[in-house]
Amino acid sequence: MTRRLLWAFPPVALLALVFLYPLTLVVQQSFQPDSGGTSLQPYTDVFASAAFREALWTTVWIAVASTAGCLVLGFLLALIIAFVPFPGAKIVARFVDVFLTFPSFLITLALLFIYGTTGIVGSFQFLTTPWGVLLAEVTYFTPFVVRPLLAAFSQLDTAQLEAASSLGARPLRIIRRVILPEALPALAAGGSLVLVLCLNEFGIVLFTGAKGVTTLPMLVYSKAILESDYPGACVVAVVNVLISVGLYALYRVVSRRAGA
Amino acid sequence: MLVHSRGARWAVWLLFLVLFLPLFALPLLVVLGASFATNWSGVLPSGFTTGHYATATRGEALQALTTSLLTAVAASVLALVVGTWAALAAAALKKSHRRVMDALFVLPVAVPSVVVGLAILVAFSEPPFLLNGTRWIVILAHTVLVTAFAHQSVSAALSRLDPAYEQAAASLGARPAYVLWRVRLPLLLPSLTAAAGLCFALSMGELSATMMLYPPDWTPLPVLIYAATDRGSLFAGSALAVVLMTATLLALYAVSRIRTRASYR
Amino acid sequence: MKGDIPFRGIRFDSVTVAYDGNVVLDSLDLTVEPGEVMALLGPSGSGKTTALRAVAGFVRPASGRVFLGGRDVTDLPPYRRGIGMVVQQYALFPHMRVEENVAFGLKAQKVPRGEIRGRVAEALEMTGMAAYGRRYPRELSGGQQQRVAIARALAIRPGVLLLDEPLSALDARLRSGMLAELARLHRELPEVSILYVTHDQVEALTLADRIAVMDRARLRACGTPRELYRAPANEFTASFVGGANLLPVTVGEQGVRFGERRLEVSGPVPEEAAVLCVRPHLVGLGDGPNRISGTVREIQWRGATHRLYVEVDGHRVIADLRELKEPPAHGDEVTLHFSPDDAVLLTAGARHD
Repeated sequence: MTRRLLWAFPPVALLALVFLYPLTLVVQQSFQPDSGGTSLQPYTDVFASAAFREALWTTVWIAVASTAGCLVLGFLLALIIAFVPFPGAKIVARFVDVFLTFPSFLITLALLFIYGTTGIVGSFQFLTTPWGVLLAEVTYFTPFVVRPLLAAFSQLDTAQLEAASSLGARPLRIIRRVILPEALPALAAGGSLVLVLCLNEFGIVLFTGAKGVTTLPMLVYSKAILESDYPGACVVAVVNVLISVGLYALYRVVSRRAGA
Repeated sequence: MLVHSRGARWAVWLLFLVLFLPLFALPLLVVLGASFATNWSGVLPSGFTTGHYATATRGEALQALTTSLLTAVAASVLALVVGTWAALAAAALKKSHRRVMDALFVLPVAVPSVVVGLAILVAFSEPPFLLNGTRWIVILAHTVLVTAFAHQSVSAALSRLDPAYEQAAASLGARPAYVLWRVRLPLLLPSLTAAAGLCFALSMGELSATMMLYPPDWTPLPVLIYAATDRGSLFAGSALAVVLMTATLLALYAVSRIRTRASYR
Repeated sequence: MKGDIPFRGIRFDSVTVAYDGNVVLDSLDLTVEPGEVMALLGPSGSGKTTALRAVAGFVRPASGRVFLGGRDVTDLPPYRRGIGMVVQQYALFPHMRVEENVAFGLKAQKVPRGEIRGRVAEALEMTGMAAYGRRYPRELSGGQQQRVAIARALAIRPGVLLLDEPLSALDARLRSGMLAELARLHRELPEVSILYVTHDQVEALTLADRIAVMDRARLRACGTPRELYRAPANEFTASFVGGANLLPVTVGEQGVRFGERRLEVSGPVPEEAAVLCVRPHLVGLGDGPNRISGTVREIQWRGATHRLYVEVDGHRVIADLRELKEPPAHGDEVTLHFSPDDAVLLTAGARHD
């Protein structure tokens, strides 16, 4: 056993040096205001600022709304790909996989042409509102729901569906009584992953160039890089980490259940 | 299967097209179209040009592409080594220890990339680890971010690996190191290449942590794309984005070729 | 392949294995003599595979020792035990050709390169797979994969060969062919001790020198196939090794009684209540010694035989009879008989502890 622990030591030590140690420094710095010493001053300052509270609220509601959108859209699309297959459904499934490997800001870039000031839909200030971010996030993260759903659907016995429909069940009833229960674990797992990723999303928000839409990651970036307010940035970072790591822990529990 | 009547089936497919095309296909087509245009004020882009590509494949842009490729390769290789090592070591531990180790290694997925960037900036801006201002800090951040994915996919593959293989090898007198090298790693090869492809793609598109860290002489492509759109050069930015996507897809394709060969053997 | 194989037996010395406090093998004492084929026979969950894995070194006994050729190997890792093993799913390395699979153990043990080629060829020759060396496992049928797995295990010239349900993934026709092959291999390699785990009594009866019957983590009986079949020690063994009619009888001053009938039984008679065991194919139709009569509840024609299920005083008696010209009908009253030599009396209550 000790020899095995010894083998586990190098990668853990490396992770500690390049990830855990920096994270603790962030936490440490969040308690060290520029004025010196150690205090809760940065926290009270940041919590008191309207910008932070605004960003927190924006982050959370956009993330929740995007997740809901992804779940509905992803379920619908996966349902059609899996159960009403059409020629090319396989290619679409492959496309979903490829889509996952593209950077998120690509979507915003495209939306800039479609909805931006010189775009297809015309000069429409849609993109600089939270709704633009919401649309981009739903688009980008839906494949993260579709993929586990397709995997779950492929496990579903088609005989079960045929039995149900031979008993006279209508499609909606089959979806509700047969498919949905099977899909629930995948939906829960995919949904909580998307929620975390939305909370942490940066590229999409950065590319909209919307001054009106500030999320927590944006706030970290602007405080640290644009304002050089490191203690403030660290405070926001700690809050963001707490929310998303908490949710991610939930995701792991849910997906482990789903896997069992 | 679910919908039997012909008409209903067409209606469902139409719904699919209506949802799928504008949301998923359109963005990519728009970027592709814009990359060849100088102007877009109507429904279709106008002013066909390949000029953006001429710029996107030389000088600053070419250098950014090289930077991205080098960063992605370095980060993927490092992440694969560390992630695989960690997954193998964790698999040999008893359950409670393995849980802790798995949780540690997936943590970077949950922490916002911007925060990872900030943390690395804070930690490596001062001695003893002065990396700020060098390319190494970017590579380091990318490695941290993608190691979690490498570790996760290798762990998943390991847990699917039938223990009968390593037991058969051990019963034939092979020591653990020999079993690892001749049996386990070759059997894991398809998953390892898949993980490598994923890490590479993620690193190619990484923007959040990079924005916090990149030094002037190590500007990856996504940063350049942002800079272009930020100053309003959307069409040039699109061309750069297409170059980025193409490079990523080519790399993924090459990796998948290796994978097919590995799984065919 | 003869000559340098060490004569090695296996000895279990009160080996107990438990997973999370759940005892799956309860103090097993068993000796496999050098060159002997020992079948571990039992239903699933009986602990037979665990016993085999304890020999291979993949499970560590909670207590007790395992000996190979007189050497205590309990603390040795699997790769230092020098055993050959073949498992149900074969576990051929899919990324290696057949000859590389067979050479694997030799390379791992750093056998000189010049020697490997010859030994691989020899092992493949022996299993009839010499023509398939360049193939990959997925290009072979199940039976061929099985032969390669055996060749791979034999190539390292083990003193002990462990076979874990080696035939259960094959279809019935291939299985009987492989059974003959295994018997031939054993004749060609008389010095290799074989521990053969199976749930199939036919495999055990065909192949084994001795059979160890396992049930619910315990060894229930051990003996030659003939002993176990002719004179089973308990009801479990009687019913698991070949089918058996088990009838409750009383033993008293008037001898052995089944209900109102007096029965003649040669051989030892226990003191009190007992169970009478008689094999279905030794039960005859019509008058004879030890006649019992009852009602035909079911009749099955199996080609060469008829199987009759006859209810006698609420107990079911099965008779396997050579094909009848005029079989009785459902519900008919029939008379059955069996010879006193063909019945064995077992102590009652030994069914499950």
